[in-house]
Amino acid sequence: MKKNRPDSVKVALYGMDPRSYKTMELYLKGPCRGIAEVVAEADAQVNIIDADFATASDILADCRRKAPERPVVLLSLQRLKIENTYFVQKPVNAEQLTTVLSQLKPVKKVSPAPVSEKPSQTTPNTAQQSGPEVSRPVAAKPAKPRSAFENNEGGYTAFLGTLMDIDFQDAKQLLSASFDAKKHFLSYVLSACKVAAHQGKAQQLNSIWKPLLIFPDTRQIWLDADDKQLRVFAGVEQNKMFAANISLVPIDADSVKAGKAKDKFQDLETFIWKLAIWTSKGRFPRGIDPNLPISLKYWPNFTRLLLIPDAMRMTSLLLKGTYTPLEVVKVLDVKPQYAFAFISACHCLGILSQSRPSIDSVQTPKPDLPKPNKKQTLFSKILNKLRGD
Amino acid sequence: MSQYKIIFTGPVGAGKTTAITSISDAPPVKTDAAASDMTKDRKASTTVAMDYGVMNLEGGEKVHLYGTPGQERFDFMWDILTQGGIGLILLLDNTRTDPFQDMRFFLNAFSKFIEDTAVAVGVTQMDISSTPTINEYQAHLQNLGLNPPVFAVDAREHNDVSLLVQALLYTLDPGVVSE
Repeated sequence: MKKNRPDSVKVALYGMDPRSYKTMELYLKGPCRGIAEVVAEADAQVNIIDADFATASDILADCRRKAPERPVVLLSLQRLKIENTYFVQKPVNAEQLTTVLSQLKPVKKVSPAPVSEKPSQTTPNTAQQSGPEVSRPVAAKPAKPRSAFENNEGGYTAFLGTLMDIDFQDAKQLLSASFDAKKHFLSYVLSACKVAAHQGKAQQLNSIWKPLLIFPDTRQIWLDADDKQLRVFAGVEQNKMFAANISLVPIDADSVKAGKAKDKFQDLETFIWKLAIWTSKGRFPRGIDPNLPISLKYWPNFTRLLLIPDAMRMTSLLLKGTYTPLEVVKVLDVKPQYAFAFISACHCLGILSQSRPSIDSVQTPKPDLPKPNKKQTLFSKILNKLRGD
Repeated sequence: MSQYKIIFTGPVGAGKTTAITSISDAPPVKTDAAASDMTKDRKASTTVAMDYGVMNLEGGEKVHLYGTPGQERFDFMWDILTQGGIGLILLLDNTRTDPFQDMRFFLNAFSKFIEDTAVAVGVTQMDISSTPTINEYQAHLQNLGLNPPVFAVDAREHNDVSLLVQALLYTLDPGVVSE
């Protein structure tokens, strides 16, 4: 579940059945980008009331009696103008709600007032009061949403590198755009995973770095290193000393798992994917010829993988037809390092293959991409919206 | 003003309403009036009203997000609902007895629509039941002659639902780029 922003407003919801309550809770976290967090009544800084609820006026009176200084936001289909309340008209939209909530500075928690205390009709809120929503200033832009690429600390160049002005027809230059997996931690991990899967037994990969535990039954790995450390280590070309100190030993999964920190377990595919990207650094793996067609078996499970720019476009293209890596770059107009990192990761997951066409084979025509049209403009707008651009 | 729609389908409890809520600009609100405000030809019941959302795009265009009522498997409304739709999001609950059977059912029910557009599959509740795996879904789909995006999805996560819808759009056109 998405974490709430540290500056989120703590709100209590009233006049909602359990399902509506849950939905509003999710709505505040999702489309409203965590502007508010739903908490218990006693911990709230703001009360939100569905004013169309049958007993809404009683709820409002009750809220005012218990916490007179606490701002109240009313949601209603009817335009309401009630003193000392904020109003958001239904159907509620995220921008409107976010604007109102962002203006409600938290007030100190107020102790419940004695029941005998008279309802306060005029006590001003510490936050700026609102009239109907039409009188409010124009909304500030909602906070930037969680990015699909949030794991890419330091930007893509931090781990995808830059392949500037490579002439892909020049064999010498082409070599500089490739990497030899055998010289990296990656190849040892892949070999160890194969052994673990083949034997159906957990394995511990020892090296001069940290031990890596592989559990084929649950398709997990365990490593006591954060992503930053792994990223650095993945990119380092290893020497002979590293190879000489590598060992793989079978372990008892149950007893070993019991003593390990739970937060260090990772999904095997997720791990291999990012290890491959950080090893590749935007280069293609030796063994893959950028001038020969590649094919993809199926869509990677992108919601659980480190995203590379244009990865979904490349996937879709390669599932529609067979293209060479350089054709992918050209057809989609993507940066070569994005394409090569993507190809490296897919190759390591075993979902990408390359075969040399036989002399007799007939070249199949490649499907044309749809030409720019009205639909493409619509799709672009939807993508912008989904990404919060 | 042009209006478009994306259809969310799947069995009861797969997370359709939650997924729609995750990316909708308007929260589904429970009142009767709100329900009738959304679509005139729908039942003015809370459940139906919940399975609706909207994304407001720049330029005033809207993308409506419709969820098929999961318990009404043979609803005639499905045909009407899909007319003019951009594509289908199929959500499957991994804790159900036979999620593959659910998958076949919905793929078959929407086969014409999928043929004309595209489908993206989101598997929910994988944190509770890790099997079938995503790879097993892929293999099953390939046996059916399909190769759509299949992602593990937490319907509460905007990012997961967003990626699934993005994959649907890219399936339709890999050439599309965000501006």
